[in-house]
Amino acid sequence: MKFYVNLRYLIVPISSLVTILGILFGSIYAWTGVFLFGIYTIIDTATKDIHLRAEKDEAGNSYGIKLFQYLVMYVMLPVFIAIQAAVAWRLYQYTSGVQLEALYFGGIAYQNGISGLNLVGAVISAALWAGLGIIYGHELSHNKKEGFLVSRLIMALSGASHFTYAHVYNHHLDLGHEDDPATAPRGRNVYLHTWLSHAGQSKFSYDMEKKKLKNRGKSFINIDNRWLLGYLYSLPSIFLFVWSGGVVGLLALSVIWILSNFLLEALNFMGHYGLIRKEGPVEHRHSWDNDSVFTSWFFIEIGRQCDHHVRGETYFWELDDVGGPNYGIGYFSLFVLTLIPSLFRKYVQKHLDNWDKNYATDEERLIASKFNINKTGEASLAS
Amino acid sequence: MLKIFKKNKIPKRAALLQSNIDFEVLPRTTLLSSALSEGIDWPHRCKVGSCGTCKCRVVSGKVKPNIDFSYTLKQEELDKGFILACQSELISDIEVEINLNKNKERK
Repeated sequence: MKFYVNLRYLIVPISSLVTILGILFGSIYAWTGVFLFGIYTIIDTATKDIHLRAEKDEAGNSYGIKLFQYLVMYVMLPVFIAIQAAVAWRLYQYTSGVQLEALYFGGIAYQNGISGLNLVGAVISAALWAGLGIIYGHELSHNKKEGFLVSRLIMALSGASHFTYAHVYNHHLDLGHEDDPATAPRGRNVYLHTWLSHAGQSKFSYDMEKKKLKNRGKSFINIDNRWLLGYLYSLPSIFLFVWSGGVVGLLALSVIWILSNFLLEALNFMGHYGLIRKEGPVEHRHSWDNDSVFTSWFFIEIGRQCDHHVRGETYFWELDDVGGPNYGIGYFSLFVLTLIPSLFRKYVQKHLDNWDKNYATDEERLIASKFNINKTGEASLAS
Repeated sequence: MLKIFKKNKIPKRAALLQSNIDFEVLPRTTLLSSALSEGIDWPHRCKVGSCGTCKCRVVSGKVKPNIDFSYTLKQEELDKGFILACQSELISDIEVEINLNKNKERK
């Protein structure tokens, strides 16, 4: 049992490696990452009614093996670097006009050179898996030792190193409040949320460093400026893509960053959409749970937001069902709905009504009642 | 054996001066989580070092901070020896000042 509990969280690592192989094999296989994303959406939807609890032995100890899980998360950093390196190699081939031909490496056939269409597949595949891999950046952001740096480096591959600080010091503290850019108010769509949340978190991190350096009597341009340092961590990716593909490379990296950040912010969007918190401690009701079996295993239990936000120090394999508000479907299925804002709002309304009725305090209910959805669907607070 | 591979596995003790409470803190365990395990009503909120609710003042002894406290605590608090219990492991036995009635006062 212990063995199985730990192995089930390997879907993303294995899928990431398969995605890299797909890019290396070339031709139609460059689309492998996109194909896997589609397949997983179907599996997630088909298994939405299966829910499991965190497994523990008779003494109440977790089955999770910390050393193994941390090793996997750390190894994901070079894996994500390898995804970018594989795309860079294909970019180099494309921009250099390498002839399309079948070659063999150790007896295994691969296509040398790549067509424009398959290059698009490689870039989107890389973007999707860089975005999905952000789950490790999130988990490690709660480890205050070496894991924190690994988190920053993983996030830097998507140009979002500021996330690590903003997530811990802003999102976890101000959840459900207007001071938290990662909490989407009712009526906002995922596309607008992506930009507002990303910029808001970066601004928070900027302000935090500015204040810290001022208190220490240091200038803003400083090696101790973690906001600035975070963006410097992203420079190797920029150099790699510009070197390998010039303008096309820069365009490809932009697609990877935009898409991966879109997935990150979609997770924030789905985790807290429309929920409201007045002053006071964060409680289970301030997050949405997504605990269907495939979502739980694939996203290393990140969907157990209700428990995670109350016990932020808890390892992902120990997070459990705490009876919080639940969408009833997994992240992949819900993500598809968020892509069509009107459909998402329609789906989520009954859950919000239930939240207002059964979870919210009187003060929270009062704030909820002040939200008016205007004709365009954008939320505004009534004066 | 090299010193870096030698892990300190000896539990330390934390004494709460104002309330006459003394409890054990295991290696790689934070001051706050040990206190909560002992059933002590230690004020806390986020447990990730962001809110500062669990702060206390170290009167004697040393702690190992898991994060940079200066993001959450003011410089004057740091100068006075304040720490975040949720992000502190013990290097030695310590004596701390903490107002355990803060929870009750809030309620």
